[in-house]
Amino acid sequence: MTALLQGIGLQRSYGPTPALRGIDFEIGAGEIVAVTGPSGCGKSTLLHCLAGILRVDAGEVRYRDQDLGLWSEANRSKLRRTEFGVLFQFGQLVPELTAAENVALPLLLAGSGRREARKAATLWLGRFGVGDLADQLPGKMSGGQQQRCAVARALVTEPKVLFADEPTGALDALTGEQVLTEIVHIAREQGASVVLVTHDAQIAAYADREITLRDGVVDRSGLGLEIGS
Amino acid sequence: MKTATLAKLAVAGSRTDKFRMAFTAVSSALAAVVLLAAATVAAVPELVNPDDGSDKWNEQYSSTLIREPGLRPGVVLTLLLLAVPVLFLAGQSIRFGSPARDRRLAAMRLAGATPGQAVLIAATETAVAALLGSIVGTGAFLLLRVLLDRRNADGTLPLPTDVLPSALAVTGVLVLVPVLAALIGAFLLRRVIITPLGVVRRVRTRSPRLWPGVLILVGVFAPLLIRRLGEVLARWISGDLMLVVAFVAVLLAAVAVIVGTGWIAYTAGRLLHRFGRRPAMLLAGRQLMADPWNGSRTLAALLAALVVGAGVLGYRAFMQTELAARDEAWAARGDVIGDPGLDSFYLNSVDLVRIAVAVGVVVAAAGIMVALAESIVSRRRTYAGLVAAGVPRRVLGASIAWQTLAPLVPAVLVALTVGVSLLRGVATTATGGGGASCSGTEAECFEGSPNWVQYPEVTKAVPVPLGDLLLLGGGAVAIMLVVVGVGLVLLRSSTDLDELRVA
Repeated sequence: MTALLQGIGLQRSYGPTPALRGIDFEIGAGEIVAVTGPSGCGKSTLLHCLAGILRVDAGEVRYRDQDLGLWSEANRSKLRRTEFGVLFQFGQLVPELTAAENVALPLLLAGSGRREARKAATLWLGRFGVGDLADQLPGKMSGGQQQRCAVARALVTEPKVLFADEPTGALDALTGEQVLTEIVHIAREQGASVVLVTHDAQIAAYADREITLRDGVVDRSGLGLEIGS
Repeated sequence: MKTATLAKLAVAGSRTDKFRMAFTAVSSALAAVVLLAAATVAAVPELVNPDDGSDKWNEQYSSTLIREPGLRPGVVLTLLLLAVPVLFLAGQSIRFGSPARDRRLAAMRLAGATPGQAVLIAATETAVAALLGSIVGTGAFLLLRVLLDRRNADGTLPLPTDVLPSALAVTGVLVLVPVLAALIGAFLLRRVIITPLGVVRRVRTRSPRLWPGVLILVGVFAPLLIRRLGEVLARWISGDLMLVVAFVAVLLAAVAVIVGTGWIAYTAGRLLHRFGRRPAMLLAGRQLMADPWNGSRTLAALLAALVVGAGVLGYRAFMQTELAARDEAWAARGDVIGDPGLDSFYLNSVDLVRIAVAVGVVVAAAGIMVALAESIVSRRRTYAGLVAAGVPRRVLGASIAWQTLAPLVPAVLVALTVGVSLLRGVATTATGGGGASCSGTEAECFEGSPNWVQYPEVTKAVPVPLGDLLLLGGGAVAIMLVVVGVGLVLLRSSTDLDELRVA
């Protein structure tokens, strides 16, 4: 499979503490890869570097064969709101905007009209079973409903790659499973790639492939399993 | 909880907490100096002419503002007005570095503190810092008093350094500053719920009704009402009491503008949300609608300063018109009797109040800076999440600018209108001249005698000081632009990815 996104020899430190120590990573179009490992092993840092949120200290992040390190902050931001989707554990929805407005935000930023953006947002909220909450503020929703809205927002631009950092970490097991099933289903349907950061083996099982990090490097001790082809 | 425990918990904290305490202490020290200066001017002894029992000037001072007994209450009032935004700044600093403080207070709740005790700890922190500040301020005031006690060549004193404020006034300042700062701080925390798992802010979901907007009209028409009331009451109450009534009118107008700003903010939010085409406008509109009272809370001191400032400008325009009418009346008889030196002195006295208002606006802007910083920091995780998702920082910056300026501009216009109407409600014309003079013996002086000079009465319309108002309003908006600019710098650090790593 041709790599859509590649990380080559990625290194990144926070002050004197190294988080990534020369990681190679790649993901093909439509592939779902889980990044697992214990707390502090560099999972989130890897995701942030691959998504162009963080710059690497050394190495290259290549998307469609272009080195993102050479891109300006503005261009990387544009990439994140058009080609990439980003999903975190919590704290992503703007509390003052309704569910529909939150989901419509990336489309408005991309230049869509309000009516058009609202229509798409309502459609996506409906796909995740929260269409009837379109006019609700996040504060009035449950954690699961909020996370469904966040997923809808991450996918509304129909990104080529979805970066999900512990997307079900704040949810109970059942809701988490439902949300994840929906993410995987939509990603497969759209042919989107997913980089899924988790420390939960059950969640990692949804991925085609799993890589395990330990102390900023890929753990090749055999604990990291190849799940799919 | 024992007092010692309370004090110990209040002053414990991180570097941010220490910085907040230092900030509160400095503001309180400044407030103490200003209040003690007011108490000193008030303590200048009132002298009486033994011949006719009239007020006698205190000739030991070089400044007429201190020398003339009729002007001293104005100086005291100006200094007291100046102390208000400074005290507000001290109280507002309770918001500074709130995430760190919130975590500390939540940890105390987890350790068993009741919600009331947690608020008490936060308010005590402000009170302790303000007490330290007022002690330092009192020391600085006494030191300055010694350093500035230099007589001019003619033996007069430039400042009333020969009198001390009464012991009661000094004690009052030492007690009043920390108490007021703590009360303002506790007031600002009234919508904050401190739980063992964190701090949440109670959001008012109901939109403001129309009555705050109607209050603005009350502010505009309050002077007219007071005028009518004054005409009726004048038969029964003294001139001093009328001053109190006038002060109540100013207060009522200022409160009306401040409370009305909640409605202005909500309406501005609705308009931005309804007609705004850009995401920044949508964000700003929704945020204004979600908490429209934040605008009136944040802008309170600035708007109060603008109401007073516009009132002073209106009064100055009235004085200028009155002097011009008098000169015109006298010129009609070929006389120039006015004393240009004295005229400019009175106008300069008003200018002194204008300077105090300008200082008040700057101090109020510092308070707004603290509030804006708190608002950005409290939303830092949402902002960081949006930036990570590709929302450009300039969109967030523009939304903050819209949020601040959309309610500010109409609120400034309302404040200036209300301030100017304070005087225009009472007088739209000024009259000068009238009266008569006569040189000669009592027998030679009677109306119609050759020595009798009757001056015509000239009435002129008092102009609205548009230029000065534009300068005041424009200055306030310009300062707020600087405040927003500083806020945007803070936004940059608050959207740092590290914020996403904090659970």
